[in-house]
Amino acid sequence: MKYLASLLLAFFCIVSVRAQMPHDGIYMNKKLACGALIYGNSSWTNYWENQLFRENQNIGRLTTESMTAMLAYGITKKINVIAVVPYVRTNASQGNLMGQKGFQDASLWLKAKAYSTHGLTLHGVLGFSTPISNYVPDFMPMSIGMGARSLITRGIITYDLPKHIYVNGSIAYQMRSHVNVDRDAYLNGGKLYQTNQVPVPDAFDAALRIGYLKKDNQLELFAETFSCTKGDDIRRNDMPFLTNDMSMTTVGVYGKYQPKHLGVNAKVSYVVAGQNAGQSLGVSLGLLYIINL
Amino acid sequence: MKYLYSILAFFTLLSCSKEVDDTLYKAYTPSKVDVNGGTWKPFILASPSDVAISVPKLATDADYLKEIDSLKTIVIPGLTAAQKKAVEYWGAGAVLRWNEIGRELAARYNVPPASNAAGVYPVPNAADPLADPKFPFANPPYTARALAYLSIAQYDALVAAWKYKYQYNRKAPYEIDATIKPLLPTAGVPAYPSEEAVVAQASYVILLAMFPGEGPFLKEKLAEAKNSVIWAAKNVSSDVDAGTTLGAGVAAKIMARAKTDGMSAANNQAIVPDMIARSTSLGFVNPWKSQESPARPPMLPNYGTVSTINFDRKTLESIRPVMPYLENSAEFKKELAELQDINQNQTREQAAIANYWADGPGSYTPPGHWHRYACDAGVAAKYSELRMARMLAYVGSALMDAGIACWETKYYYYSPRPQQFGLKTSVGLPNFPSYTSGHSTFSYAAATVLSSFFPENSAKYYGYAQEASDSRVYGLIHFRVDCVMGGKHGRIIGDFAVKRANADGAQ
Repeated sequence: MKYLASLLLAFFCIVSVRAQMPHDGIYMNKKLACGALIYGNSSWTNYWENQLFRENQNIGRLTTESMTAMLAYGITKKINVIAVVPYVRTNASQGNLMGQKGFQDASLWLKAKAYSTHGLTLHGVLGFSTPISNYVPDFMPMSIGMGARSLITRGIITYDLPKHIYVNGSIAYQMRSHVNVDRDAYLNGGKLYQTNQVPVPDAFDAALRIGYLKKDNQLELFAETFSCTKGDDIRRNDMPFLTNDMSMTTVGVYGKYQPKHLGVNAKVSYVVAGQNAGQSLGVSLGLLYIINL
Repeated sequence: MKYLYSILAFFTLLSCSKEVDDTLYKAYTPSKVDVNGGTWKPFILASPSDVAISVPKLATDADYLKEIDSLKTIVIPGLTAAQKKAVEYWGAGAVLRWNEIGRELAARYNVPPASNAAGVYPVPNAADPLADPKFPFANPPYTARALAYLSIAQYDALVAAWKYKYQYNRKAPYEIDATIKPLLPTAGVPAYPSEEAVVAQASYVILLAMFPGEGPFLKEKLAEAKNSVIWAAKNVSSDVDAGTTLGAGVAAKIMARAKTDGMSAANNQAIVPDMIARSTSLGFVNPWKSQESPARPPMLPNYGTVSTINFDRKTLESIRPVMPYLENSAEFKKELAELQDINQNQTREQAAIANYWADGPGSYTPPGHWHRYACDAGVAAKYSELRMARMLAYVGSALMDAGIACWETKYYYYSPRPQQFGLKTSVGLPNFPSYTSGHSTFSYAAATVLSSFFPENSAKYYGYAQEASDSRVYGLIHFRVDCVMGGKHGRIIGDFAVKRANADGAQ
């Protein structure tokens, strides 16, 4: 759950057709905006403590709920800007760890259609996210986010097949800043650091999506993989920490229906493999609304 | 495209910094040499001359001149970048570095064992330290004791070293030969035996006993620490060899005390039913119960019988804090209400204080936190190795005594945690009875000793102690009375260390 910051977009900010998102190949027309309000619920009972797949009776089921507000706007029909603000709440069903809540990391995205030929389109996305409340990032797994600022560079290739079928492949690099924590010492890779600054490892993610998209309707299957470039592992029976080398592979299905200005979307995702990560089952439901500016 | 450029510029401005400013220590010239250091009273050695070392060869002796020559013609010209880096690292202070190593090991080993498939928590096994669960579980009492013996061994060994230094008055290589330039500031004390080697060997013996799975790691540190003073041209090999003999001999005597201090029976779970019975007879309606699933046996229930350093058993019992409030009293209800309010409305400031002092699993524990403060104070005061070790021995022994006396109190009353009354925690719940707060006892004991050594910073240390104490209320794992009474207890315990320090001849 610690990688919420990076995953929120993938999990919850799913808006498409005219309502679009940072990793798809869809753009708002010029001076057209789409607002979205999305409820997300992601939870796990099992997690990978390093590589050990286990449960924890002192956590039970860890649930992360989120309410995300999102606005996409067409600067031109080839350049869109997207803003995202999530509010997050965590809860453990067993044990005595206090749930956390608050505004998490706001993000701003710029997406541009770079090149297009024969149904093949290349897109570039640049995103920046930063915490917008002073939440506690190192009370894992209860923390609502990791507290790091991140700069995300993404490349997307989309390909249109006949009968409204599309394929979308994307890869991103997430540069992540260090985090200032309340404590003044911590372990990273067995070495004791005597500072309140904790480096959060950079990460890659990549995804493949195959879907059907026709006017009002969209249905998509996807597989995503997320992996840190370095980091240490959760020690035996310890809690996760910001420096951990997390990885996970997620599969899911996404659907959207937007006959007019008002629309809805839904998504289900499931982590099938991971390390230093929870085996999350995520569900989200969103309301979409198109605004003419 | 104009938009694109302006947004790109925005991103660049906010780019993600990845640097971490770790604490840096640098070598310094000690403010005092303490010629009479060899007459100070050690903790455990009967006399500074308990461990004998051989008489050093004279500066005119061929063997010694060969050592000097080897330093000049082989060691110094052949120094590698890695060796220079090691000189710089260890030059910050042998006592300081070994204390840091002790804290790092404590942090690494500070994880409670996992329960097995049968719902049982296996006990760490000293004979198989790297198996799961690793030995030791370096919890606060364990760490307090380990660091106390480390500091005491360093101090006693250095008192002995100072005695021999001024008895033999052997010069340092750079005093013998002006062409030899030391790489570090010089302390101005005689070179035989090497104080860094004394500290290294004594520290190695103690830490290996406390963390028996760390042999290879500690051996590497030991070799580097000893070599670094030769690389720095502060010592020749015979200075280091004498330091090794002395450090090992003193540490063996400290370990003889450690092995018979009762620690081996500290986790005796057989006495727990009687403790619960006593708690009930004292009037506790709900004695402490493990809040973990599966229920974990209480941490070190018999640690309260470990031999204290600065006072005796009778004193320990006489200073035990009085009964806390019982469950149905108005005072208890008031304190529970305070916690219930924090449970609902914890402020970010309260959470920050709770987190700063949490020092839970994966940390060097509150005793480690105070050792760090003590080290920083010693560095700021430009303490010599001897002065640093002395101060840490008093802080460390007070912390160890605080752990023992607090644990004795906890298991005497066996009082319930706030979580037995429906509260959550923002820091994690320790698995032992509530009254009194370990953090409060440790912190006030250490603050009392530090205030005696650094009276100009007294307000700062007591401020930290009070914050550490409050942090357990803010983190929702202690009632107010646990912290207040623990703090008072800690002060009394610290005073015993101060009294001892005032009588050791160093003033």
